[in-house]
Order: sequence, then C-alpha cells, then structure tokens
Amino acid sequence: MTGTGPRAALTAEEGEKLYAARLYAAEARPYLATALFALRVVESPTVPTMAVDRYWRCYVSPAFVAATPLKDLAGVWVHEVTHLLRDHHGRGERLAAAKDLTGRGDRLRMNIAADFEINDDVYGDGLPQPRGAVHPSQVNLPVGLLMEEYVAQLSANTYRRQLAWLDCGSGADGLTRVWELGPDGAHTLNEQERDLVQLRVAQAITGAPGRAPLGWRRWAEQVIHPPQPWRDLLGAAIRSAASAPGVGEDYVYSRPARRSVCLPKVVLPSLRRNPPRVAVVIDTSGSVSDTELGSALLEVAAISRAVGGRRDLVRVVACDAAAHLVAPVCTSAGIELTGGGGTDLRAGFDRALSTRPAPDVVVVLTDGQTPWPRSQPACRTVVGLFRRPRVINTANPNYRPTPPPSWSRVVTIN
Amino acid sequence: MTLSVATDLLTLLADTRTEERPDNQLDALTLAVAADLPVLLWGEPGIGKTATLHQLADGLGLPLTTVIASVHEPSDFAGLPIVGDDPAVQGVPMAPPDWAVRLVRAGRGLLFLDELSTAPPAVQAALLRVVLERRVGALRLPDGVRIVAAANPRSSAADGWELSPPLANRFVHLQWAYEHEVVVRGLGGTWPRAVLPSLDPGRLPEAVDMARRAVCGFLRARPTMVHRLPDTETRRGGPWPSPRSWDMALRLIAFATAAGASREVLSMLVRGTVGDGPGLEVMAFLDRMDLPDPEHLLAEPHTALLPERGDLRQAIMDGLVEAVRQRPERSRWDAAWVVLVRSLKMGAPDLVVSPASALAALRRADWVLPPDIEQLTPVLSLSERAGAALSERAGAALSERAGAAR
Repeated sequence: MTGTGPRAALTAEEGEKLYAARLYAAEARPYLATALFALRVVESPTVPTMAVDRYWRCYVSPAFVAATPLKDLAGVWVHEVTHLLRDHHGRGERLAAAKDLTGRGDRLRMNIAADFEINDDVYGDGLPQPRGAVHPSQVNLPVGLLMEEYVAQLSANTYRRQLAWLDCGSGADGLTRVWELGPDGAHTLNEQERDLVQLRVAQAITGAPGRAPLGWRRWAEQVIHPPQPWRDLLGAAIRSAASAPGVGEDYVYSRPARRSVCLPKVVLPSLRRNPPRVAVVIDTSGSVSDTELGSALLEVAAISRAVGGRRDLVRVVACDAAAHLVAPVCTSAGIELTGGGGTDLRAGFDRALSTRPAPDVVVVLTDGQTPWPRSQPACRTVVGLFRRPRVINTANPNYRPTPPPSWSRVVTIN
Repeated sequence: MTLSVATDLLTLLADTRTEERPDNQLDALTLAVAADLPVLLWGEPGIGKTATLHQLADGLGLPLTTVIASVHEPSDFAGLPIVGDDPAVQGVPMAPPDWAVRLVRAGRGLLFLDELSTAPPAVQAALLRVVLERRVGALRLPDGVRIVAAANPRSSAADGWELSPPLANRFVHLQWAYEHEVVVRGLGGTWPRAVLPSLDPGRLPEAVDMARRAVCGFLRARPTMVHRLPDTETRRGGPWPSPRSWDMALRLIAFATAAGASREVLSMLVRGTVGDGPGLEVMAFLDRMDLPDPEHLLAEPHTALLPERGDLRQAIMDGLVEAVRQRPERSRWDAAWVVLVRSLKMGAPDLVVSPASALAALRRADWVLPPDIEQLTPVLSLSERAGAALSERAGAALSERAGAAR
C-alpha cells in the first residue's frame, strides 16, 4: 500500500481503472458478468483493500486501486463476487452457529478458508491471480476443498499475519465490519434479488458449459439442483415404506376400541401395532467399499428401530453373484458380510422374499452395476444407490448399468 | 412460600411489550389464507407456529379453532358412524365432532390442524378430506372457514408422513423457521407485532392483469414447465408445477400485487406452490417484466427512468440495442445514444461499453454521430484500457467505428 493516506473518493484516473478492471473481468469470465455488474461500488477510505457485504455492495479503498495493477484488480473483482455467489456469508453464519465459532479469530479463519476455496480455482485462463492472494499450498493444504473443510483444517497457529492481507468484509464470513453501511443503507440487493442473480449466473454457466471451469459448473449444478442429505432421504423413504397402510401403527376395525364402552351406539376402530419386517439386501461385490456399506447399514438398522421394528425383524442378505442369508441383526456391530465377486441382485431379492414371514420392506444397498428383477416384488422396495463416477469398461465400452426399476424408490448415496 | 407470590412472579414474567416488525413468513401465510388456498406449514416442533396462528386469527378477525390431529382418531374427522334403529332403511349417519358443528354454526373461522405429521396414516387420510373437500362427516364447512395445517419436516418426523404428489400439488407449502434475533429479543421481553398486509381495492384489476401476464408470458416461453411430476426422491412430498398449481400461483401473484407485498413474500408463495426451480424462474421473469419497454425508452429517451442496479441497466441497454437492430431507423438510433449517455451519467461507465460498441456497429453510412457522443469518450478510453489489457478486440473495434463516424 502506498503512503497516500486515506481518501474518501476515487480520482477520475482511479475510477477509470476500477471500471476498466471490471470490464476486463467480465470479458474474461462472461458468465459472471451479471453478478459483476450487479455489485454497487461504495468508495470508502476505511476499508483496507476491496471488500463486499452481504447486500452486494462493494467497498473500495482509493489507495488500493491506485496501488494495484489493472489485471490484478480484475482478479480481485472476480474474487469478491465469488464470495457472494458461493454464499460464503450464509455458510459462514451457519458454520458459526453449528460449531460456536463466534470469536474474531474464528471469523478470520473463515475468511481465509473462503479465500482458499476461491483462489484455488477461479484464476488462470486469461485472469491472473492477484499478487498476495492466499493459496492453500502456502499452509500445505490440498486444493479443491470447500470452505467448511478448510476451516476445520486451519488450526489457530497455521496462519500467520501475512495471510490476513485480504479482509473481504461480511460477504466473506458473515461478520459485520465497522465500515459497512448495514442493511438499511442505499443500493442493497435483497435476498430475492440475490437469488435471481445467482440463478442467472448459473443459467449462463449451464447454457454454455464449455466455457466455464469444472468448479463453476459444479456450483451451477448445485444452485439449480441443491444436494440433499442422503441420510434424511433414505430415512424418509424407509419410514414411509415401513409405516404404509397395513404395516406399523394404524387403526383397524377388526377389534372394537376401548372408547366403544362409553359410546354404545358408535362403532370405533382401535389402534393396533404391526411392526414392520425389513429385509436389507447388501451388494457385497468388490465395487462397494466397506465404509460405505457400514455407514448405510447402520443407518438402516437405526431407522427400522425408530419406526418400531424390533432387531429380530431386520434381516440382512449379503449378495454378490449368489445370496447368503445372514442371521437376524442382534447387535449393530455383529453383522458379518461375505462375498466379493460380481453382482446379481436378482438372487438377493429372491432370497429376501423367500424368508417366512415375508418382509414388509426390502431395502437394497448397491452401486447399481447389476441386473434387476423383472417384475415388482409383493412389498415396497427402497434402493440406496452408491454414486459412482462413470468408468469405461475396456472390454465392453458400450456397457451401461441398467437404472433401478421404476417401482422402487431410489435414494442416491454419496 | 405462598402461591400468591408465585402469581406475582408469573405476572411480572408475562409483562412483555411488542414492537412492530416486518415478517415475511407471516405476510405470505396471510395472503395464502386470504386467497382461500390450503396452506401447509412445514417446521420443527416448538418454533412458534401455534403462536403465529393466534396472531393471524386476530389480524383477520376470525375465531381460531385448533385441532391437534395426533390425539384424534380417524372417525373424529370422517364422522362417527352411529348405528340407528334400522340401518337398512335410514343408513348409518356419520356424526361430526363438536368443533365442526360449532364452526358451521359460526359460519366463519380459522381451522388450524396441528401436528399432522405425528398422526397415524389413517388419521392423516381422514384429515386430507377435511382440507381438500372441506367435509367433516356429513357436514360441509362453510366458505368463510379458512384452513391451515402444520407438519414437521419428514426428516424429523418419527413416522412416514409424506404427501403423495397429487396431494402435495393442492397445498401452498410454506417453510417455517424462527429468526434468531426475534427469539432472543422476545425472551428479553419484546415480541414482534406484525402488521398484516391488506388488499388495496383500487388495484384489483391491475393485479389480475399483472398475474395473468406473468404466468401466461412465462409458460409461453417455457412450455415444459407447465406440468412436471416430481421425478427424484429429493422432490417428493414438495410442491411441483401442474396446471392446478399454476392456477394457484396466478391467484397468489394477484393477491400479492393487490396487497403491495414485497418480492420476497411473493417468491415464498410462488416457490411454495410450483416448486423452487420453476418458482425462481417465474420470479426472474417478473423481474425482467418490470424493466421499461425498449420502445417506450426510444419514444421518450430524455425522461425514462433507469434502474440503479448495474445488471438491470445493462439488460435494458441490451434490449434497446436489440430493438434498434430489429427496426433500424435514424431517429431510433439517435434516441438509443441518448439513453446510453444518460446511463453513463448515473455512474458505472463500464456498463455502457458493450451496448455502445453494438450500437456503433449498427450505424448506416449516412448517419452522423449525435453531438452527445462526445460524452461517451470516457467509455472509449475505458474500453481501450480493458481491451489493451485483455485482447485488442472490443476496444479497437469500437474506437475504429467511432473514429470513422466522426
């Protein structure tokens, strides 16, 4: 920083440089143009460099603009707008609430972690990295992680003073700074407008995916289809299958209710419990890892217990090319899985359905590289599908795994 | 210790104040209830849904009837079968419960069906008939009765409450969450008091027109959005677009417009009716619908209002250049330059660069640049600086054309 001292306003020359840099950034990253232009510049003598608040105002220090080359300024524009697009303030707030990270030092860590997330993938390809930008490699962390992961790995002593060069404002970590104008000042974007800017950027990226790097494409995909926690989805699917009419707790007219005694002319149904029998078919072929199976299986056992199933009503079938019936689950740790070759889940289905009494729900945990039964079984089916990157089988390059049948409820586990 | 001292302490604790505070969730709920659409509030237990309903009933001047679904039996909603003397002749009447009789007698009221998700499936099934057909046993609830239901999100529900797609399609889904600030202030003694939105009788025709233009214009541009069954596990049980839910969305847009509700409230309502993705796209469409018409700008370039927001202003200028390209006439071309100069005076000169370059390219041989163009000189230098730094493209092309024109 040069010794010009704090000034409130940009000179004509500095203003021109600042806007030329934004133009440069918009040309280098056309899909970010909407977001870049939606930022409103606020000249501020007290902000250290350039910073954004959560209302899409961009605070600019005149001295910083004077001292920074145009190309670097373009990089800073993209950096700041990325904080907002990736919702670092909202994620910072949620992280602070979930982990009780409310101290000033925690916020600094969040700002640095957010900077890491940005700086390891937005530069290059015509947009140079600004001088002094922090990079995860400086503290020996891998690239490509998310802000939350970097925060967990940044212990208090791994960052030094030099890492704190960029104070990116509340837009980066959610903590309001003294020099910010707050929610009531002029030129703010409300939440709804912010969502729409995000949507337009995401649409620009998915509209011309060839031009955007992978990190941005993944971001756009998440804006349009936000990911869901698979545990919740799998749980909901199993609960819903296990408490369907006929199973679980429900009213029946087969026995009179206890209330009938005092209402002599009224016919009342009574509440009956019918705990669900759950059969879990597990794909033990080599393509599914033990950790994946372990976590999914524990989940299924916990859920079936929660819906009123007793442990002896949960049966596990380990299945590769042949099916092996494993004893009823008695402890969550006591399940021994056998197998490890190729998969044919049809055998697993047959085995699960042939147990007597028949199960109410069949839960299948697989990576989907298998043939499926042709006809719908006589009970509800939930498929937990481990997501796999597509690998090309060299022996049979046209091979595509068959998708799970439409009569099953599919939850993707990743 | 005597109980009277305890009573004194309780009185002190109950002595709280209220402050006015805008509440988007409550506004959305009020509008949906006013529009007579069944609302389903999704929210964790204990976050103040019931308290909100009390406030809503006060605001609408309706008596509140709360029915806790989980403590009732299916027959309480479907009607209790009463065996008479001669069932073969008289049939078996389905007797309604007392709360339904009282509601019918009053003719109006707010019926709140709480804890829908913890009720057994048979009770839920019976309740849905109440919500959708407004029938309780042999009684039909009068039109003056409005119905709101509440459910816990399915991830926290102990049993499998989940709406099938046809049922989900009939509700306005509102996500209910607490605000940290409100809770902390409220426990400190100051609870919020929301002012409910009211419909402006003078704006009704305008509101209907606006809602019809928005929904029809959007669906004309995106025909695949008319009907889309939820296809993945993540979308099950939530709102999805169909002609029925679009009709509900249209009604809600009209109500929100007539009440002058904020875009955030409207967004909650529309997204809760047709789903997040389509809802967001409609909102984006509405956003662009609000921009001034390029033809109006070309007709009156000196007085038009341009928005402060850079991305919107650029969208306007792009539309303007496009309108000139469609029908290139000297007067229109001149008018477009006037708008560009006006935008430049509002700040953010970089916005003008790309439209100016595109407009310059539309010049015919006999058109001379208007005198105003002098004021665009900073744009040229801006473009040159960015261009010199990037590639020569845009800047060089613009300065070449502008130079030739001069």
